[in-house]
Order: sequence, then C-alpha cells, then structure tokens
Amino acid sequence: MTAQAVQIESEDQLRADAYGLLARLLCDAPERDLLNLTAEIEGDDSPLGLALSALAEAAGSVTDEAVSEEYNALFIGVSGGELNPYCSYYLTGFAYEKPLAKLRHEMDELGIARRENVKEPEDHMASLCEIMAGLITGAFGAPADLETQQRFFDRHMAPWARMFFEDLETADSARFYKPVGVVGRLFVEIETTAFEMAA
Amino acid sequence: MDAKKDAKMMERRGFFKMVGLGAVAGAATLASAPGDAEANAAPDGNASGYRETELVKKYYELAKF
Repeated sequence: MTAQAVQIESEDQLRADAYGLLARLLCDAPERDLLNLTAEIEGDDSPLGLALSALAEAAGSVTDEAVSEEYNALFIGVSGGELNPYCSYYLTGFAYEKPLAKLRHEMDELGIARRENVKEPEDHMASLCEIMAGLITGAFGAPADLETQQRFFDRHMAPWARMFFEDLETADSARFYKPVGVVGRLFVEIETTAFEMAA
Repeated sequence: MDAKKDAKMMERRGFFKMVGLGAVAGAATLASAPGDAEANAAPDGNASGYRETELVKKYYELAKF
C-alpha cells in the first residue's frame, strides 16, 4: 500500500506537515530550497500562527552560512553542541540508556527500522518527528490509528520534547532556531491537548 | 458509544482549526519534498520486512565521523 492511496483527515495531514517540517529543520542545517519554502508560511494571529510567521521571517533573512554555523554550534560542535538532540542523552546523560532501548523495541513492533549500515542511535528529535509524521500518513504501511500515535508520542516524545524545544528557544547560539523552538514547543503542547481530547 | 467518539473527534478537529495549524499547509510541499520519508519509503517485501526512516538515513549519512 502506498501513502498516496490512503485517505487521511485534513487536520491529520496538517499534523504530519508540522512534524515533517520540524524533522527537516532539525535533521540538518536547512538548505536554501527548504528555507525559501519555509519563508512562504503565513501564520494567523494565534500563538502558533505568530510563531510560524516569526519562523518564516527568520527563514527569509538568514544566510546559508549563518544557518549552517548555527546548526553546528547548537547540535554538533567540536566537543558536542549546546544541545544534545537525542532522547536518551537528554533524559539520562548517556546515549544508550533505557529510552533508546524502549524506542528500538517500539520501532520493532511497528515494523520501522533504521538502515542496516548506520550505527547512530534512532532517538534524534528529527527521527522521532519523522516517525510521528509517517505514522499519521501511513509512510510505514497503513496509517496508524490515533491510539498508536498517542502511545508513541506519550512514550518517546512527551517525556522530553517540550523541554527540548524550550531549551532550543532559549539557547545562546539560537537565532534562526529560536522560532523553530517556539513552533516546536507550541505544537507539542497542541498535540498533548488534542490527544487528551480524543482519549 | 460511537456517537460519543464522533463528538470527541469533532471537538478535536475544531481544536486544530482554532490553534492556527492551518498555516503549515504551506509546508505540505516540505513534507512531501523529494528525499523525504513518504517519497522514499522502503518497498514492500524488503529483506527484513521493515520500513526505513528516510531522515534517520539522511542524518546518519551526515553524522558519520
């Protein structure tokens, strides 16, 4: 079954778009194409809308070089970036602790795997966002029901995502990534509330 | 029971409309851009039977030291 063949609700598509956008902004320093597309986003006057507008403005004004340097300072660095974007490290201070083991177990159950020849852990915020988007749209098979989405969110994002985005928002090196942090934090709060509404 | 569930889902839908999520519809192109998960989901019936995550792949390629 392909993703294209599956109908999902329009608000679910928007949720997947939001996760997809966060994933792409966090997995690597955005290239010009992605920045140009991000610059076209027009938010309304809701808190998330305002944050999205601020993100669009930042995307329109940042240079490729500046965003690449900022990404490096935030997430990579010579001796590690300002923030560590991995769940296990974030919560425990170590890269291969229980949160990663639990994630691997869950990915196994959902039939999702990282590529064979890669050794880096799966619990990067970008990959968690990508998995959420894929569960919603059906990129990993049929779209996952809301309960499955919520279970994944509760187990692997809820314990640290809000904190992570808040830290991103206030990180010393963050310029372009400041509004990314605000959008991420607000979106995580929205998802948390929405899952509670459906429960 | 079903009516109750439907009402909840309606309320949830209304909530998403209210919070300004519609603006990311502009980002739809981003989520479906070439190189992303949906576009490159592993074909059915690969050896392990797993779907691979594209961003994880991409990240790992970049993160090799």
